[in-house]
Amino acid sequence: MAKFIARRCILLLLTMLLVSMAVFMITEASPGNVARNILGAFVTPEQEASFLAQLGLDKPVWLRYVWWLTGSDWQAQKQIGIPLKRIVTEKGFVEWWAVKKDGTLVRWKLIGDDLMAISRKPDGTFSRAVDNDRWKTDPQGVSVFRGVDTDNHVVKWEKGKDRKVWTFIMGSGWKETSGGPVEYIPLKKGFIRGDPGISLRTGRPVAKSLFIRLRNSLVLAGTAFVIVMPLALLLGLMAGLKEGSLRDRIFSVGGMMFSVIPEFATGIFLILIMAVWLQWVPGATVFGEQAPWERPDMLILPVLTLTLIELGYVLRITRASMVEVMRSPYIRTAYLKGLPYRRIVATHAVRNALMAPITVIMLHVNWLMGGIVIVEVVFGYPGLGKYLLDSALYKDINALEAGAMILVMVAVGTQLIADIVYTFLNPRIRYG
Amino acid sequence: MTQPDSSIPADSPEIIVPDTDVIRFVRLRRLWEGLSVLFASKIAVAGLVIVLFWVGVAIFAPLLTPFSPLEQDWKHPNEGPSEEHILGTDELGRDLWSRLIYGARVVLVILPVSQNLWIPGGTAIWGVFVALTVGTTLGLISGYYGGWLDEITMRLLDAMMAIPVILLFLIIMTALGASAVNVVIAITIVGTPGIARLVRSLTLDIRTREYIRAAETRGESPWYIMFIEILPNARGPIIVDAMLRVGYAIFAMGTLGFLGLGMPPPSPDWGSMVAKGREFILQGSPWAALWPSLAIASLVVGLNLLADGLREESMRYQ
Repeated sequence: MAKFIARRCILLLLTMLLVSMAVFMITEASPGNVARNILGAFVTPEQEASFLAQLGLDKPVWLRYVWWLTGSDWQAQKQIGIPLKRIVTEKGFVEWWAVKKDGTLVRWKLIGDDLMAISRKPDGTFSRAVDNDRWKTDPQGVSVFRGVDTDNHVVKWEKGKDRKVWTFIMGSGWKETSGGPVEYIPLKKGFIRGDPGISLRTGRPVAKSLFIRLRNSLVLAGTAFVIVMPLALLLGLMAGLKEGSLRDRIFSVGGMMFSVIPEFATGIFLILIMAVWLQWVPGATVFGEQAPWERPDMLILPVLTLTLIELGYVLRITRASMVEVMRSPYIRTAYLKGLPYRRIVATHAVRNALMAPITVIMLHVNWLMGGIVIVEVVFGYPGLGKYLLDSALYKDINALEAGAMILVMVAVGTQLIADIVYTFLNPRIRYG
Repeated sequence: MTQPDSSIPADSPEIIVPDTDVIRFVRLRRLWEGLSVLFASKIAVAGLVIVLFWVGVAIFAPLLTPFSPLEQDWKHPNEGPSEEHILGTDELGRDLWSRLIYGARVVLVILPVSQNLWIPGGTAIWGVFVALTVGTTLGLISGYYGGWLDEITMRLLDAMMAIPVILLFLIIMTALGASAVNVVIAITIVGTPGIARLVRSLTLDIRTREYIRAAETRGESPWYIMFIEILPNARGPIIVDAMLRVGYAIFAMGTLGFLGLGMPPPSPDWGSMVAKGREFILQGSPWAALWPSLAIASLVVGLNLLADGLREESMRYQ
């Protein structure tokens, strides 16, 4: 068993690695340009080049993948020969600093031909000093310096080559400054060290918005799950009890209908009936800064849509399982033994009939996630699925990768849980 | 090769070579039996009626409406059903009935390859067909040969099946761009692993039969055995699976269209019609979102009723 779990965990990691590579390469190969998406069509080539260089997007794709996965600080550290440190300021910003031998944190700025060292004292105040001793002459006779700039890059400055820098600030536009370097390495810790990077679309760290989105999606899925499971299992058992009866027909055909109609169509029907016609509940979700549970009325329609779709599926599985159990010899034996009908159903049939649905539901999570994405788009619900879709359309690679990794983790993880649960429910199964 | 022919009476004199009339008779009778299985189930008939309705309007779409699906009427945007436009108009004043039936055409009857070129067989149909071809071949090969080939193929397909379907769709469609052919490719990639698994498991079972041994002894080539001996004997489950897959392909097409990843904009695509019409629901014109939702729902339900009814009846028949 332990060996089996270990093997599956390795498979999970392998799948995640493959998917992340595929996402990276495909996003790279697909048409469209993230710089144009962010900056708009009216951008000069210089501005675009400066912007791409600052984000490290001018580097080859394999290098960017390695940086995304394992971080870029170790490579940058080797280049500049000074250890780097990542700190979080009191205001919650992430900053990278070089650590001098005496332990003080330092960054640099190029002003004209002078290097300005900015040191951070332990109490959070700064001191500035000219630091021109650090210029080194390279074989071509140019004075160069590699250091950390004030925007979390490791950069290479060249004396006399004062480049213009265009910084794009989300929401306010361009800021033109001088003192630009010739080369940038954007500093990040990398995905496997817990830093999914910065969203190109919003300019904010992915981790921050991702967790809010994930929480919203979990609230949606969790509420639907809590409603669906008991209901679907109960209805399925009832339908399967008497195969071919009218109740069975109505439940199974009805369940099939709801489970095969696309989520967006079900969503539209529900909006039209419940929100437009009857005007009972709002037809879209607008939360702003609020959490979903603060506006439960807006949760009703998304949850109902998910419920209808999942209900049919689980119901049909349970029904099929129940039908099979009711036909089995041991139920007949129980009848012939003269046990009361209620007891046969409650103690002999139900427990065995529930085995299949519980594991199949876990395997169904893969599909459920698709449903959640659509439901989120239909109702404008700010969840993970919508985040993923927006990121994919925008080619926001960091956000897309992080979202994709979560989805793969959930999908493969639930399959693993299903397999483990199954061995407990059905001891005849052994995994080697 | 399936079962001993029940149509030839057991007490008749030994027939060594059945003449062509007998063969034709047997075939006709098989066809009739197949149809009677279909008609025995009310559910299957209901499904068939719905599906045939959509196939019919899709084929005869140009005859059923005076409007082109792209024709805009700026004076009458977002109108409800009227005598002129029986289902109303969308936000650009395009006739919804015409867009609806031309949308059915793209799903069921034609596959637009480029702006001026289309080939027969709808986008969803092609998606399932290509997935079936690829999946069946993979399944047959890995089931029949076994060994490391089987191991590698199945592990790869396992890994693919572990990826959430929606993510696969998103990645594929954003990479390839929105077009009918790319929708076919996406449906193929998503559908292939499941079909390959099914065909492989059927092959593993059939491979052990005597007639396969006989064919091997005759010295038939592996390809002959796979496609002439094994495949026809595995057809039953594959056909039912394929029918469900057509339903799912239409579902997927609609979903892609709804997410803006299906057909490129002006073309009449049910999913994107819903996506666009959704914006006008709360402004009081629900028609543009309602009709295509109803259309896709009815078509998918029809296909599933048909597949379900068939499966149930054929099980009883056996």
